[in-house]
Amino acid sequence: MLSKVIAARIARLVATLFAVSLLTFLMVEQLPGDPILAILPPEALDDLESIERIRSELRLDDPVIIRYGRWVGNALQGDLGKSYITDQRVSDAIKDRIPVTIELAFLASLIAALAAIPIGAFSAYHEGGRFDRIASAFTTTALSIPAFLAGLFFIWLFTLKFNWLPSTGWSRITDKGILANLKTAILPAGSLALAALAINARLIRADMIGTLKEDYILSARAKGLPSRYILMRHALRPSSLTAITVFGLQFGGLIGGTVVIETVFALPGLGTRLISGIYQRDTMMIQGITLFIATVYVVVNLFIDLLYLVLDPRIRRQ
Amino acid sequence: MMSKSKDITGLTVAGSKRSGRLSAVKEMPFLVKCALFWLVFIVAAAIYTRLDRLFGQALPLQDPFYQGFLFGGSSPTEGPSLDHVLGTDILSRDNLSRLLHGAWVSIAVATTVVSFGIVVGGLLGAFVGYARGRWETLVMGIMDVVLAFPPLVLLLALVAIYKVRSLPVIALVFGILSIPTYVRIARASTLGVASREFVQAAEAIGTKRVWILFREIIPNILPSLFAYALINAGFVIVVEGTLSYLGLSVQIPEPTWGNMINEGRRDIRQTILPIFWPGLFLTLSVVSLNMLGDWFQQRVAIRSSSL
Repeated sequence: MLSKVIAARIARLVATLFAVSLLTFLMVEQLPGDPILAILPPEALDDLESIERIRSELRLDDPVIIRYGRWVGNALQGDLGKSYITDQRVSDAIKDRIPVTIELAFLASLIAALAAIPIGAFSAYHEGGRFDRIASAFTTTALSIPAFLAGLFFIWLFTLKFNWLPSTGWSRITDKGILANLKTAILPAGSLALAALAINARLIRADMIGTLKEDYILSARAKGLPSRYILMRHALRPSSLTAITVFGLQFGGLIGGTVVIETVFALPGLGTRLISGIYQRDTMMIQGITLFIATVYVVVNLFIDLLYLVLDPRIRRQ
Repeated sequence: MMSKSKDITGLTVAGSKRSGRLSAVKEMPFLVKCALFWLVFIVAAAIYTRLDRLFGQALPLQDPFYQGFLFGGSSPTEGPSLDHVLGTDILSRDNLSRLLHGAWVSIAVATTVVSFGIVVGGLLGAFVGYARGRWETLVMGIMDVVLAFPPLVLLLALVAIYKVRSLPVIALVFGILSIPTYVRIARASTLGVASREFVQAAEAIGTKRVWILFREIIPNILPSLFAYALINAGFVIVVEGTLSYLGLSVQIPEPTWGNMINEGRRDIRQTILPIFWPGLFLTLSVVSLNMLGDWFQQRVAIRSSSL
């Protein structure tokens, strides 16, 4: 039964990835302007012979389907082609920049998860009370502030007003150690985490309000256990399944979200490379990075789906 | 999230279903009323500035493109004054006027997306949810594939295609991408409504299926679609602001809240005001939509549970 479900999910994954690759390829194919214009310097454009030579070298004149097949075939072997503009291999660019993006997304989901649990739990425990109302105002606001705006505000507050943290740039763990790295990562990760944090806190609150009405909570209370113990041990545990799913699904979304945040903080991640590729009309780079991010997103989501299936037998039976 | 007392008002609303639109406004909690007021103000600003352009800037409002430092009258990043109530930006253009003109892009994109979602997504979802069978499998399969994309990255790649990023292009791209969620919601609510007694009764007396779809099902799924639409509109405004900030939405000099923030960023060391005003307008609009959406969703939930 379980293996049947897993097989169906994987079939859907393959269909999705096919659609993602086709759409990415066709979209970028529609980009205005001949890639030749980006490759050759303007003075070389009169030289029709060299234009023809490069065209046939890059095999730009093949039909779309053949070029798509070639692109996907190479991509499956880890070769996403070469940038026409900087001559860099797309796979090298991704390898070079993915650590920043992954770290940001990971830190952001960590912050969102860790901060959301106490906020959600205490709001649920004091439902309708003062803490709950303040927390609810906070989550509504946090949910509504665009990440880039939060980032700019953090730069203004923590760099320009208090001068605590650097506003831009990235220090690799291998350069100056983990502390210097966290110093450059905390503001972008924090601004990225804000909306996810709000969603998590709301979900945990709603989930806990239901759990707190269960009989076993009443019996724990009757035994005279301290309320903090009841909250963390008895009430949080059944809610953790929802939490795992949501956090996992968010991780995929946060990888997409880093695109903007990296730009705000000028970080050397995948997102800034994608954006600069868009500005420069660097076809290969846009195609490669979009395909890569989409694949990570789809695979992470599938993995979370399956994890949920394994963890919660109730879903399997449905 | 609302407290207990507001749940009770919700229940009384559910009891008197035909209480009319105005009394619904009266029963709103104070903050939700404020949210509604702000949204009315923003929509009015968007329409007013369009009319202003239509009449060749004859209405009382500063020109959003007039650069005072070139032609006299003002200097860059002025503080608030009688001439410029919210000061001027780095090209010495009037902030207030640009903010109000900027409302148009946000409102227009959000409205288009939401209408697209409700009309196309809602109809499609209601149809496959009621017809079931092969169509349902096919349509929901396609929707699942579209939803499996990372939205922002897909949007970036899609928007990058267009050299001329005009308002209709941006709105259309956003609109098409938003359809799947509406289809899902419409289908899920249709499945719930289709098993109700009044639908069974209509089927029993031999009413045509199309008639049932439009007379019985769609009116009953509209509230939940509308509740989602309010939240979705807020999300769309955030995403449009983000693209604008990256310079990938409607192009300058046309003011949008996002590109105003981008322009103000360069002066962040001197003053935060050029970021603060568009940021405030953007955030307030999204907060308002979210609050109104939450409130409406609760009303819908209470209503449908009492049906």
